[in-house]
Amino acid sequence: MKLYAYCLVEDVGALEATPLGISGAPVRLLEMDEFAVLVSDFNTETVAVSRENALAHAAVVRSVLDRTTPLPFRFGTVVTEQQLRSYISARKPALQTRFALLRGCVEMSVKIIRELSRANSAHAEITSGTTFLQEKQREIRGSEQSAAEAKDISTWLQDQVKALTRDEQVIVRPSEKLVVAAAHLVERAKIPQYKETLAAAREKRSELHFLVSGPWPPYSFANIELEFKSQFRVS
Amino acid sequence: MSSSFDQMIVTEEWDSTDLSLLETLDHVLNRGLVIAGEITISVADIDLIFVGLNVLVSSVETAHEVLRKRQTE
Repeated sequence: MKLYAYCLVEDVGALEATPLGISGAPVRLLEMDEFAVLVSDFNTETVAVSRENALAHAAVVRSVLDRTTPLPFRFGTVVTEQQLRSYISARKPALQTRFALLRGCVEMSVKIIRELSRANSAHAEITSGTTFLQEKQREIRGSEQSAAEAKDISTWLQDQVKALTRDEQVIVRPSEKLVVAAAHLVERAKIPQYKETLAAAREKRSELHFLVSGPWPPYSFANIELEFKSQFRVS
Repeated sequence: MSSSFDQMIVTEEWDSTDLSLLETLDHVLNRGLVIAGEITISVADIDLIFVGLNVLVSSVETAHEVLRKRQTE
């Protein structure tokens, strides 16, 4: 019997009114050492990447967020009970350390979108060697400018919220419109202040577009250094 | 199950419904604990063409464009 694993938890007690999981399967708590895992039975080969399944996964993980801070498994984690026990047993110290960091916190997500500078988006028609070189030079300057702007935006965001975050994961994409994707680990008690701070920060940068979402289970902070051999079955 | 930590999506002018879904997909599919060799997903017959940060941007842009058209009609 295979199990679909949703998240790892500590001190959650009994489950209360947990939503149905993948394929409508009931979710149960599997005690493992000092932890527990939310799982449901899984009988097919692969997990379809569908809207329903993704939302079911998210709903199950989220259902315990108001009582504890879960360590979410990535979508599509199908294992045997023995594999789960081996995994937890082998990584117990790392998991304890991770829970110590995350305990009492949630994840807030900030995505910043900007209009790319004209120098980086417009292209002149190349009619000669000279215009080719001029175009290349312009591209290089545009890239450098974009990279500098992206770094500035990232640093600016970090400065706005650093007093309110315990940790952060930031992706900076200088050449893309979605220039910064940040995940902030915020203590639950500080969420109102975090929201207020971000709202005030947004007012200062009207040239940027912000997508702020949360609170989330700490998906972005769950990763532990692991050997990862993904097994994507494309059918 | 309702939660005392209700999620919010703060945007400027875009409909938050699709963004909420895309944000959920971004978290669920791209992040989280991975057990070696045990991600078994099928991407055939899916209703998600591509999932990732880029799709979020393109969806936002599409939503923005639709909104603009509605306003000019």
